[in-house]
Amino acid sequence: MTSKTDGSSFFTMGVDSGSLTGKAVIIDGNKQIVSHSVKQLGFVSQKAVTMAIDEALDKAGLGLDDIAFTVSTGYGRKRLEIAGKNLTEISCHAKGANYLYPEVKTVIDIGGQDSKVIAVDPSGNVKNFAMNDKCAAGTGQFLEVLARALDVELTEIGELSMQSDADIKISSMCTTFAESEVISLVAEGHSTIDILSGMHKAISGRMKGLVGRVGMQKPVMMTGGGAKNIGLVHALEKSLGVSIFIPSEPQIVGALGAALFANDFATGIRKKVEEEQDLDKSRAPAKDCASCSIQNYQLNKTT
Amino acid sequence: MAVQEAKRANRLKSGKLVNKLVNEYWEDLINAKKTGKKVIYTTGLPIGPFMAAQDLAWIHGEGYGARVAARHEEKEPQTFAENRGFNRELCSYARTQMGCAMFAEFGVPDDLMPGPIATEIPAPDAIVTCYPGCSTGPQWDWAIERVFGKKIPWFNVVIPYHMGRNGSTYMKGEEFEENVKYVERQFEDLIKFLEVISGKPYNWDKFQELMGVTKKVGQLRMEAMELCKAKPAPASFFDWSIQIAPVNYLTAWPGTIEAMEAVKAEVQERLDNGVSAVPTEKYRIFWEGIMNWNKLGWMADKFASYDATVVAGRYTHMAFWHEPDSIDPEHPLRGIAINHLECQLNLGYPITEERMMTLSKEYSIDGIVFHGARTCRSFSRSHFLLAENLNKKMGIQSTSFEGDMVDDSFYKEELVNTRIEALIESLEAQKSR
Ligand code: SF4
Repeated sequence: MTSKTDGSSFFTMGVDSGSLTGKAVIIDGNKQIVSHSVKQLGFVSQKAVTMAIDEALDKAGLGLDDIAFTVSTGYGRKRLEIAGKNLTEISCHAKGANYLYPEVKTVIDIGGQDSKVIAVDPSGNVKNFAMNDKCAAGTGQFLEVLARALDVELTEIGELSMQSDADIKISSMCTTFAESEVISLVAEGHSTIDILSGMHKAISGRMKGLVGRVGMQKPVMMTGGGAKNIGLVHALEKSLGVSIFIPSEPQIVGALGAALFANDFATGIRKKVEEEQDLDKSRAPAKDCASCSIQNYQLNKTT
Repeated sequence: MAVQEAKRANRLKSGKLVNKLVNEYWEDLINAKKTGKKVIYTTGLPIGPFMAAQDLAWIHGEGYGARVAARHEEKEPQTFAENRGFNRELCSYARTQMGCAMFAEFGVPDDLMPGPIATEIPAPDAIVTCYPGCSTGPQWDWAIERVFGKKIPWFNVVIPYHMGRNGSTYMKGEEFEENVKYVERQFEDLIKFLEVISGKPYNWDKFQELMGVTKKVGQLRMEAMELCKAKPAPASFFDWSIQIAPVNYLTAWPGTIEAMEAVKAEVQERLDNGVSAVPTEKYRIFWEGIMNWNKLGWMADKFASYDATVVAGRYTHMAFWHEPDSIDPEHPLRGIAINHLECQLNLGYPITEERMMTLSKEYSIDGIVFHGARTCRSFSRSHFLLAENLNKKMGIQSTSFEGDMVDDSFYKEELVNTRIEALIESLEAQKSR
């Protein structure tokens, strides 16, 4: 871990206030991950976000005052008071994915509220993107509702579905219609594992269309909670015909990207402050900068 | 916290003149029966001059739906229509007007409290359908007829789709010429139909005069819109949507020339004085899809807050007398047919793509917003293909979101926000590359 007193460094934080989970990542001035946290409490839960931030700070041995800049992302991004800037998950996932795997060209993110495919350039910028077209079709929420209808824990559906070799089709991607389709499949006597496998195939079929819209380029990475579902990853790999890279903590990729953006902003501000200071030195006598707005970013606390 | 929504759209002020005409038109329509005028229901293309020449009042179904929605009175008629079996996925214009027509025919149920505009629609004496590129339009009129429970004289102008067969392109080729002639012949029959309805010979002099007005208003609007090729643009797609009535159901209404002259003069003045539609224009956007009337102001401000001007759109720039020079007021039927056949909803995919690419070049477009109206699949049928091809061929990025024309229950505000912001962020990254 980077030392708090390391004069060459500072800390920035990325917070992903997602529709189902709150995630926070802290990185140091050298862009090394210091700590992270993922908390799940409910829909766009402020409490989950606060808990994730507290835990990440705690693990890093830092306080909020030690953070030079915070960027928020995710559906609740605009509600986070401590963020100096908010950015969409599209930009943040691209940036985070590029950091973890600089060669990555396509990022697939299956989040709670929406699913997206992002074409990323070598610098981690978004080249193109596509998102699911309506409601919760093909998203984490879709899986959650159907898992509930089948009385299975969300965390178990991946492993369970891998045991199936049946070919069950779920044609509706509207959560409401798919739920009744699942119920009728149960009534027809199909096993839970076969239905789960059918659900994953339905989502991967939908994602294939989305991938086609931005044009798939290898290597492909999957981020978000959906990447933890091995059944879904397997179904996607099969339908896309590629192997998909899964980072060790796929849920924090958006927050990581936000922390990296925060680092860019903080670096920009630090540069500006240094330039101002150089300018001030050349302008004698020195001025009192107590009211300078740039200082309000509390950069000095970590330097 | 980063607040990005402080900037607001700088809307055209001359739109107030249009509002005055709109109010006059509705006033005239609501009182039509009292003044002895027959009322014709129409859906689809702006065919008002055919009726105006015979002193018939006309009511445009989509125009009525949009007006009801703009006054936030749409929920009650929509609920009434849904309660009577018109599914929520059915065209929201149709559901809104159907609900209003049912209020007129069956009375207002005790558990609904509709607004004044939703309950003042007069019953139809005849129906004229003239719908391009969508089969819902004719069925909507069919359903209207059933609501009133009696045989209502009905004339359906069939507008054949311009596919682009055998090399036929925009306003060119055998397919195009055949279609024009086919529609012209139907217009000749429509005139005979209106003679029967009105009980008098057709007033060709008045019709020609009205088509002269239509041509002039169409030209003024196209010229004013073309001034917005300038950077920054002095007016936006949202202004052109707000000003749509004079080229839509208000076509050839008295005062439309003056209103459009005022609009054009204001745009020119803004251009001369460096006044722009959004405070700081950094990005230029194309709006692909139908307009969403109850979100219009919200959308205009949203894009302004991201320094983005929506400069052009398929809805505004590829329809509504967009080819005014093709109208010969002395022989108006061909020009009307051309404008209607070559409108945004009626073009085959290759022609649509070519038109969009041309507009994207002319208006220096950076990004495209695809508005997929949930209950108008006609308008969103080629969205994915257009997004893919405009990106491949011109490097234009896009985003899409789901909404609707007049049913805002299909909006999820945060989903819309994220998608628009994501486009802006990627355009920013592209510009800084
Ligand atoms: S569905 Fe669309 S094109 Fe068809 S009638 Fe409704 S608004 Fe018009």
